Amino acid sequence: MRKLKRMLMWAGLVLILLLIFLSVYGAFIGAERARAFFNSLPLAVYWSALTLTLMVGIIAFRRLIRVPGLLLIHLGCILVLAGGIWGSEAVDKLRDKILSIDTIRAGRMAIFEGAVENRVTLQGSDQVKQLPFHVKLKDFRLEYYEPGNLLIQSRQGKHWKVPAEVGAKFSLGDDIGKLKILKIFENFKIKIEGDERVAYDAVGPGSNPAVEVQIEPPDGEVATKYVFERFPGRVHPEDKIAFRYERVVREYISELQITRDNEVVAEKDVQVNDPLHFGGYHFYQNSYDAESGRYTILMVVSDTGLNLVYGGYLMLCVGVFWHFWIRHLFVSVKAKLA
Amino acid sequence: MEIKYTIQGLLIYLAIAGYMLAFVTTLLRRPKMGHLLYLVGFVISALSYAYRWYDVRHVPLQNLFEVFLFLGAFSYPVSWFCRRFLRIAGQCADVLIAVLVLVPAGFVFSAKAQQLPPALQSWLFAPHVAVYMLSYIFMAKATVQAGAQLVCMTYNSDEKFISAEEATYRMVCVGFPLLTLGLVLGSWWGKLAWGDYWGWDPKESWSLASWLVYVGYLHFRYMFGKKHSRINSIWVITGMVVIVITLLWVNLTRLFAGLHSYAT
Repeated sequence: MRKLKRMLMWAGLVLILLLIFLSVYGAFIGAERARAFFNSLPLAVYWSALTLTLMVGIIAFRRLIRVPGLLLIHLGCILVLAGGIWGSEAVDKLRDKILSIDTIRAGRMAIFEGAVENRVTLQGSDQVKQLPFHVKLKDFRLEYYEPGNLLIQSRQGKHWKVPAEVGAKFSLGDDIGKLKILKIFENFKIKIEGDERVAYDAVGPGSNPAVEVQIEPPDGEVATKYVFERFPGRVHPEDKIAFRYERVVREYISELQITRDNEVVAEKDVQVNDPLHFGGYHFYQNSYDAESGRYTILMVVSDTGLNLVYGGYLMLCVGVFWHFWIRHLFVSVKAKLA
Repeated sequence: MEIKYTIQGLLIYLAIAGYMLAFVTTLLRRPKMGHLLYLVGFVISALSYAYRWYDVRHVPLQNLFEVFLFLGAFSYPVSWFCRRFLRIAGQCADVLIAVLVLVPAGFVFSAKAQQLPPALQSWLFAPHVAVYMLSYIFMAKATVQAGAQLVCMTYNSDEKFISAEEATYRMVCVGFPLLTLGLVLGSWWGKLAWGDYWGWDPKESWSLASWLVYVGYLHFRYMFGKKHSRINSIWVITGMVVIVITLLWVNLTRLFAGLHSYAT
């Protein structure tokens, strides 16, 4: 038994060392290739060996059962590995073959505003699968940090970054003069009124953010300029300065409804860090129509094995804090009281 | 090199000066004065961190500049905790660590304020990074003790402090749960933000490697105790090397481009 324990400890240590080297190798080859590598057959053997060593270790070492912290740590690791294996691509294919459980592991779906969709393009292929329910995009919107910024550069290479707020005035030095921000447009359009061209903020689809600025040079000849977010860097030969208007996205929001048999069964505003969870899938805000914001792209990911992983994480955390921190605190408090 | 002619920069440089004076004074065997200067350096460093918080209006842990400010500010509380509760010496080394982390913040990294991108707007952002940084301070202290043990340096003759080998072990025991929590919180956040609790992103792979080095150390020490104390020390020093790669190299080179690039 003593020999077996020694062998087990060495096996554990060798497996840990091996995983250190494999992780470093994985870091060098990049996420995509590393993911494929860690899901390959030789690595499946490794994961199984690691799980088995942990399980045999718990049986062989009585200390691992007697000391609750150590037991939680090792059981937590087993659960994390089990969850990872259960949710892996290889096991997913096996489940499909043996049990005919056909889940969508990961994929993407594009939905236009007002449209209902249940088709998912699988990750890494052109294959399309259907969800057992429909997803409706009620609305998609982008929210920006307020105010946006106006970036100004002179021909001499001087830079300014000023907040684009209506009415704000700035001095850009004696040679350039003063600058005033007159208006902010969300969807800039031009219309003809009489003989004049008038800029206005159009309601409805489309997006053309712009800022109307007034430049007052030292000679006093006031000029008005429009700076567009999506068409930066337009400089005329006579211009002393170049402008750029930039806004930083604060949030992407897709207002979603899940429908089954024409009945709404779930509803949520999906944002980055706040996915929708329904029917064994998570729906994530992934991308969007950058031109006019009329559609969203959602990532659909299956939850298979996730509860095991989360359970394992919980046990691991409780275990390490109990074993390394809390039990020592109890001991010292007890000693003080005694 | 970027010298910062701002209030933020001034506070960082004052904190560095305070820490350096504390280092010199401690070396000159004036421990009480050294401790007082260390405390002054900490107060200025904490002020610098608070100023940054006020300036950017979110928890300043977004990029390397902010993270190094955090490390500089939290070096003192960790050092105090270790002396007071774990009986671990090494104030001189602690001050040096604080200087080492504040110098890049003061002279290398850009202090340009950035708004949080959507991926970082999560309640997990602050605990994930803060817990990791705290664990890194403990592990850095453990590395100093391991180094002292490796070169057979008698760190402190004072009997109220424990030996370097024992100190290394205690520091790892305190830092390891934080390292584990950081890893788990990161994984949970990854699931919420990117759809996967583990994506084998280079930063994730390096952080797993660093966690595993300490797992290896704990198992090795359980197997052999203090019999191979030099190998124990090598484990801990290796862990710190991997942590430095995780923290810096992954963000500063293009070799490891990945989802954590915004932390640069």
